[in-house]
Amino acid sequence: MRIVVLCSSLYSETACAMAVCIAESGYVPAGALALSLDRGTLLRKVGQWGVRGVARYARTKLVPHQSDEQPRVSNPYLEPWLRHGDGIFRSLRQVGAVHRFPVAVCDEQNSPDSIALLREWSPDLIVFAGGNILRRQLLEVPPLGVLNVHLGLLPEIRGMSSPEWSLLTEIPVGITIHYMDAGIDTGPILQRYEFPGAAQCESLNDLRNRLIGFGVEKLAEIVAGLDQGTISAKPQSDLDRDNQFFVMHEWLQARSAERLTKNRLAVAENSNG
Amino acid sequence: MTDSAARDNAMTGQLAKALIEATGLLRGPLRVLPLIQKLLSDKLRVNFEQRGLYSYATTKRPSLEMLNSLLRWILDAQRPDGGIAAFYSLLRGYSESYPEVTGYIVPTLYDFARAAVDDRATLAAQRATRWLLSLQMPEGAFPAGLHGRQPQPSVFNTGQILQGLVRAHVETSRPEIRKSAIAAGDWLIKMQRSDGSWSGPGAYQASSHTYYSMVAWALAELSGHTADPQYGLAAERNLDWVLSHFQPSGWIDGINLQGHPNYLHFIAYVQQGVLECAILRRRNDAIEAVAKSAWVLLRKFETNKCLAGAYDSDFKSGQRFTCLTGNAQMSCVWLRLFELTGDLRYLNAALKMNEMLKQLIPVRGRRGIAGGVIGSYPVWGNYQPLRFISWGCKFFADALLLEQRLTRSVEVAAVEALPCAS
Repeated sequence: MRIVVLCSSLYSETACAMAVCIAESGYVPAGALALSLDRGTLLRKVGQWGVRGVARYARTKLVPHQSDEQPRVSNPYLEPWLRHGDGIFRSLRQVGAVHRFPVAVCDEQNSPDSIALLREWSPDLIVFAGGNILRRQLLEVPPLGVLNVHLGLLPEIRGMSSPEWSLLTEIPVGITIHYMDAGIDTGPILQRYEFPGAAQCESLNDLRNRLIGFGVEKLAEIVAGLDQGTISAKPQSDLDRDNQFFVMHEWLQARSAERLTKNRLAVAENSNG
Repeated sequence: MTDSAARDNAMTGQLAKALIEATGLLRGPLRVLPLIQKLLSDKLRVNFEQRGLYSYATTKRPSLEMLNSLLRWILDAQRPDGGIAAFYSLLRGYSESYPEVTGYIVPTLYDFARAAVDDRATLAAQRATRWLLSLQMPEGAFPAGLHGRQPQPSVFNTGQILQGLVRAHVETSRPEIRKSAIAAGDWLIKMQRSDGSWSGPGAYQASSHTYYSMVAWALAELSGHTADPQYGLAAERNLDWVLSHFQPSGWIDGINLQGHPNYLHFIAYVQQGVLECAILRRRNDAIEAVAKSAWVLLRKFETNKCLAGAYDSDFKSGQRFTCLTGNAQMSCVWLRLFELTGDLRYLNAALKMNEMLKQLIPVRGRRGIAGGVIGSYPVWGNYQPLRFISWGCKFFADALLLEQRLTRSVEVAAVEALPCAS
């Protein structure tokens, strides 16, 4: 099966881990298409991380690490896929060089040039690891469809800040692997997985990182299942209900983190008692 | 009058107003400095602001500090007669006292006094009430427009002032305030048409408007306070008339301001009036209708990070400015819907809206500027350009007061009742 990875950045750890995971499962990607860094993204990152944070990130991605320095991975749960010999994969280009697939960069994933390139790679399936909101023309390129790993259970939690909203609305934390359509997280569902490790998480960031790792692991199962014809997608119920959630305000994030801590303490208490 | 003729008239009127206002600079040439400063800062902000889908505006300014700034602005805007100025213009300074806003700012002042234990707010509310009582016309109505002009009875302004009178009576129990509120309520009932709307003499442009739901809210409050059902029935008659203008898309027809676009301020007025009236009259059908309409705007806000200054009937907008007052009003609507439904997405949107608004309030500057809410952002936008407006401060203060009350209740609930993992 020919698979293409779409992602928001060449340096996305999640995209690198997905590409490695798929390749190691025997499905070497037919290509990977990443968004180039634009002024808007850069400014947003400066806003999120500060100038120092952005400089640190750029250093870890662009400057080769010293031999006596332990290479670092931002999301430790992706390390099994990102570790490569003594080092780590720092960009999709490195993954592509090792696993022998082409990597390209574009300004807009829906642009005619991007779609022409995708058609050239003629994928059966696209794995989406971030980027633009995909338009119908792109969604129709692969015969099977475009897969997304959503960090929440569909159809209950659509949209953004899904792990945090799951905690606050008392819907089990989990992931859903689904086909994308023109809506936001409204495409047919291939599989939902409740996440068993939520109560062990130290923080929201830890929870998010673990869910991403869990998603990459499950993605390989789904790709294999699709190839072997053992799984199929089911359209979402509840499409008439507006289950879309939006990026969570920090005050609510703090309440969500409190809920996480409370759950962790309760589990610890139960196991001690 | 045709739409285009009305638009032409409105444009001529606006141009004349702008020219008169610009002459203010001749009387106060020093005002040119803050004017240029504001124009430049908005220009810079418009050019550099980023509105990512995954982010939202944040600020380090605590809500209580912001509330204090807003109150200081309102207190500074209180004129020697006790009325609150309509606006501080960057061109001509403070306007005359504005009876309508003075009326409905009274509940905000009392709410602030209670939340912050601040006597200044109570005293300001008392002075404002005394002034309002002196303006009431023999038939029970209150006058339209700014103070000092030929008094014309106005349905909308009487309704807005009635809100303040009811609250002032709740706080003080003074019989003359009750008498005044009842006279206003009786006049409103007398002027109401059989279909529940108000039009003709006393109505703006002599037409009926759905944003007069704010009048229905005031009547519902009067009914609750006096236990007189006739005011409640009048409120519900208007509620039913307004509800008949809600479209399946969530759009509300009948704002009906000839020569003006459907400014967000008026769309939000309809929603606020219907919602508050529905809460008082226990009308779930009306609450659901508002929730549907408010949700459309919530989605737009979450996607674009602010709401447009005006919308067409399909909720589309070509406007490149935002009406801060309307944004603050929508924050109030969402917070009340959160309170009613428990849907945290309303609270989430309101928290982000309040953050966005805090960013746009000047921290420093002369009286009339610091702590003020500008009519439009950028400052040259269509709605009340180059003016800091008192009703903007009122609605943003209401939103922050509601935010404080509701976030506190969520925190208490989190400590007391949130279930643990099984």
